[in-house]
Amino acid sequence: MSDVVLEAVGLEKRFTRRRLFAADTVVRAVNGVDLAVRRGETYAIVGESGCGKSTMARLLLTLMRPSGGTVLYEGRDTAGMSDRELRALRRDLQVIFQDPFSSLNPQMSVGALIEEPLRVHGIGTAAERRATAAAMLARVGLRPEHADRYPHEFSGGQRQRIGIARALVTGPKVVIGDEPVSALDVSIQAQVINILAALKAEMGLTLVLIAHDLAVIRHMADRVAVMYLGEIVEEAPADDLFARPAHPYTAALMAAIPIPETGARAPAATLEGEPPNPVAPPPGCRFHPRCPHARDNCRTDHPALRELGDRRVACHYAEELTLPGIAAGTQRRAPAVERRFALLDARTQDNDRGERP
Amino acid sequence: MSALLEVRDLSIAIAGAARPLVDHVSFDVAAGETLCIVGESGCGKSLTALALMGLLSNPPLRRTGGTARFRDRDLFELPPRELRDLRGGEMAMIFQEPMTSLNPALTVGDQIVEAVRTHRACSAAEARDRALEMLRRVRIPAPEKRLGEHPHALSGGMRQRAMIAMALANDPALLIADEPTTALDVTVQAQVLDLMVTLQRESGAGMMLITHDLGVVAGLADRVAVMYAGRIVETGPVAAIFDDPQHPYTLGLIRSIPALSGERRRLATVPGTVPTAAAMPPGCRFAPRCPFAGPDCRAAPPLAEITPGHRVACHRAPIEEKAA
Repeated sequence: MSDVVLEAVGLEKRFTRRRLFAADTVVRAVNGVDLAVRRGETYAIVGESGCGKSTMARLLLTLMRPSGGTVLYEGRDTAGMSDRELRALRRDLQVIFQDPFSSLNPQMSVGALIEEPLRVHGIGTAAERRATAAAMLARVGLRPEHADRYPHEFSGGQRQRIGIARALVTGPKVVIGDEPVSALDVSIQAQVINILAALKAEMGLTLVLIAHDLAVIRHMADRVAVMYLGEIVEEAPADDLFARPAHPYTAALMAAIPIPETGARAPAATLEGEPPNPVAPPPGCRFHPRCPHARDNCRTDHPALRELGDRRVACHYAEELTLPGIAAGTQRRAPAVERRFALLDARTQDNDRGERP
Repeated sequence: MSALLEVRDLSIAIAGAARPLVDHVSFDVAAGETLCIVGESGCGKSLTALALMGLLSNPPLRRTGGTARFRDRDLFELPPRELRDLRGGEMAMIFQEPMTSLNPALTVGDQIVEAVRTHRACSAAEARDRALEMLRRVRIPAPEKRLGEHPHALSGGMRQRAMIAMALANDPALLIADEPTTALDVTVQAQVLDLMVTLQRESGAGMMLITHDLGVVAGLADRVAVMYAGRIVETGPVAAIFDDPQHPYTLGLIRSIPALSGERRRLATVPGTVPTAAAMPPGCRFAPRCPFAGPDCRAAPPLAEITPGHRVACHRAPIEEKAA
């Protein structure tokens, strides 16, 4: 069996806006993306609004037909799959959305919501489904009596636990999380991240994480792909990407992270302007109009995504640029803070489910 | 330095709830200073700002007590007319989502002109010059062109700049910013924060910045007030909050943030959830989630000073003496 579980080859998605009295406009939301997600890893796709990361999520989930290129699952082209094969695929490939409330039917009890995917896929008898759903409820840190309640009775963090239970109840192999913790407050976010990490380990999941919060990505991901205007500009092991970005756009993202420590630099605005309109991307390197290191050929020659050690980078000058990342020792805690954390540890008996015993 | 704004014992209640949503909140903002109010959803940070601006939706929300002295006037005692004169003039506010606070039917220029002419006697041409100058100051590209455009034609970052331009058009002495960069991408957030710092330095205005992001706090704050469930639980200079945090909630917040470098450890969490408006616990409101809570926490702890300027509302403060 191959090491790669989910793969995109030359993946493209164009959206055409037809207009009556003017030429049609075409947005290349995803423009020739190659990526390979390895079994058991957490692979993150990061980028700012409009970079195409959510379109990528839909393409990988086969919820959207690509305009070009293919998505391969376990080495098989999903485009050629029969309905029966696609149904099986959807059992293996599940999704967690950003806002669980909008994806939960308000008229169904939580128990019924968690059973639903089992029913859809015809897994088990009614009694077995109920038992499986109850077990799943416990694994995401909710109590048995929660099964009889309705989504509106739950807080944001609890709803996201319900969303996770629904995604995992069919025993998928790959889970795609589209901003799964972005809507949550930081203390609740930490609970949900821990649950995801624990379940990933227990169930041997592969996780594809679409997110914009760089600290969350650093914490969760093994490898990270950075997208800009529909293309991957850099892909690297998470620690390398944060410590030594190779693409100027990655470096700009790192410089902009607000760092929660005393005397932290204010977030640095190293980039002028905003991403250009994807309808009319600039020629050459799509990042060149905002790049502080751009030279003449960047304005005309589109840099290919090429291998450089164990990373891939799309920059003509990746070898010669030395770009600052997040310095080692960033966010170091004062000794008093470490002592108090130890005090908290001694008293807190919380577990991976984030609930008090 | 005397305070520009002095809020004392502000309380806000909602119809139907037994306990107030904002409970005896007190803080100062001095000229040229940035006070960050930090906390999670439902902690009352936005309600506090809205109350100061006289914008509480009333009912169901009701201010039940407190004073807010701004340049020797009590904001809560001002006749509506005088409050309107202050608002957008000496005291301005920036909201999280500019699209919902800008008028979609008016051009950016008309909105700034309106803000200027509401507060000062000047000709339309003078107000327009001022609007153009403000768009330049917030570094909006092609400002002449932008004056004539509607908000929907601008990107999120540009809209937030336009709102800052409008808020600063009348040289406010106090700026209240409620999550001004939360909806923005990280590189655009950096630009807008940078702009706010620069403009504040130039104008010497006091700023009350409401945020949930401790990174933004570390970069901008002079002083910090941490709110939990309607109360300030800890307040002090920014260095005290990050290097000498005392309240178990502050510790929990700092600890929940994933690290940007070094070893990756399982995230520590604050167990449980924030209480809802209808179910605020008696006594210390953090006690149900606090690993150090004891029977004495059924009485609300006072916000007591432990080092100069650093105050904590916890029966276990200082924590290493009393909770170890």
